[in-house]
Amino acid sequence: MIRCQSLSWGAPGQPLTSPLNLQLDSGSLTAIIGANGCGKSSLLKVIAGLQKPLAGKISLGVPRQSGLSFLPQQQHLDRQFPINLQELVAAGFWGRRLSTQLRAQRLQAALENWHLHGLEQRPLMALSGGELQRALLARLSLTDAPVLLLDEPHAALDELGQQLLWQHIHAWHGEGRTLVVVCHDLAAVRQHIPSTLLIKHRECRLAASAELIAQTPHTQVA
Amino acid sequence: MFAITQLWQPFHEFMFMQRALFGGLVLACSTAPLGVFLILRRMSLIGDAVAHGILPGAALGFWFAGLSLPALTFGGLGAGLGMAGLAAWITRRTGLREDASLAAIYPISLASGVLILGIAGKRLDLLHLLFGSALAVDGPTLQGMLWVSACSLIAMLLIYKPLVLDTLDPLFLRTVSCLGPLAHGVFLTLVVLNLVIGFQAIGALMVVGLMMLPAAASRFWSRRLPVLIAVAAVIGCLSVWLGLLLSFYYSLPSGPAIVLVAGAGYLLSVIVGPVHGLLRRPPLLTSQ
Repeated sequence: MIRCQSLSWGAPGQPLTSPLNLQLDSGSLTAIIGANGCGKSSLLKVIAGLQKPLAGKISLGVPRQSGLSFLPQQQHLDRQFPINLQELVAAGFWGRRLSTQLRAQRLQAALENWHLHGLEQRPLMALSGGELQRALLARLSLTDAPVLLLDEPHAALDELGQQLLWQHIHAWHGEGRTLVVVCHDLAAVRQHIPSTLLIKHRECRLAASAELIAQTPHTQVA
Repeated sequence: MFAITQLWQPFHEFMFMQRALFGGLVLACSTAPLGVFLILRRMSLIGDAVAHGILPGAALGFWFAGLSLPALTFGGLGAGLGMAGLAAWITRRTGLREDASLAAIYPISLASGVLILGIAGKRLDLLHLLFGSALAVDGPTLQGMLWVSACSLIAMLLIYKPLVLDTLDPLFLRTVSCLGPLAHGVFLTLVVLNLVIGFQAIGALMVVGLMMLPAAASRFWSRRLPVLIAVAAVIGCLSVWLGLLLSFYYSLPSGPAIVLVAGAGYLLSVIVGPVHGLLRRPPLLTSQ
């Protein structure tokens, strides 16, 4: 589904790692871990087509547009932007032909799923970090794309929000979607995500999460 | 004493006042959404760069073709786009901060405009070019303003949705649609078009004020984007109307009068505006 052939990425002239060869099957659930600045988010953007690779090839089994959905880190968003939560979430319908009624139903369901009821009319500025993150996830859930790329989806989420997130990730996985998740929470990765890509300067390794991440994770990797 | 009829009497009596008012009102309506989006995109300075850039182009147009509307318009259009493009290109190629690269463009444009006018023999008044005059709005100029306003309002309606999302979250839009860059390009072209057509009525430097001041003021009145645009348009229209009246009764130059009324509207909004205005408690001390 996602195949990278001798892919290198990063700033011009300074590739972040040695060329990456990678194949992620359709319906797989993969985490990307590694130290700060090792290129996790950049790799995700390269896969999403938002950044050009320095060399190498990527092929997706789906068209980039409508086939792929990307959850950016929320610091990219201008919190003063004059839009409310419901409008932000509804942007997930972009490019899809649905009846007004169906849209309203799905929007309500997404808001309910992500515990966003009662916040529909709140401006972005009045949302907490966790509420905004859940809104972005709700928007992602409306896109129905077969490939989901999530950049630090657990950021800013509290205990309850994280439970909700992992439930949905498992549900999406169960529907046969392909997921790639950049995550710093190694314990959670070990618990929830079967395979992991570890990015290091010299080499990248794709293996079972349990194999890459030792029992006491925080001291082992990175 | 001041009579209420004085508020519209000049527009009744004098054709040139009527044209200036009509042109100013349509211009205020079409620049309002542009100004609001410029601020949201953190591109407020682009307007200034383009307006300064218009000067040498319009001066060149005047030098070669005299005081003709197409020459001034196309000269201004080319030079305005060129200057904004040059600033963007320098930023992209060298990593110089965007505000620095824009700020470097202003004096170059302004100086070369003044220089060209000097060489051309001062037949075109510099003050006129910078600050315009209501008298300058003749039939063809008014027609141009109507066309530009109508086209930009329609175009803004068409690109509104992608432009909103491209402004808020370009990364997300790029994964679901390829309309982002198109919306951005159309938007910038509209900004330049409006500035160029506006500079002949109220001056190259003043038209930026009509674009940015109502937009900046509207931020203090609402948190909803469509309302922001409507408020900006209303403030812009009021400024045009009151400004023209002031300039008529007190023999003031019309461009500065309009912009200063808009400026007063802005300061008033800063103080009493319900959304984080100064008198609003608790005040917003830090901006995010």
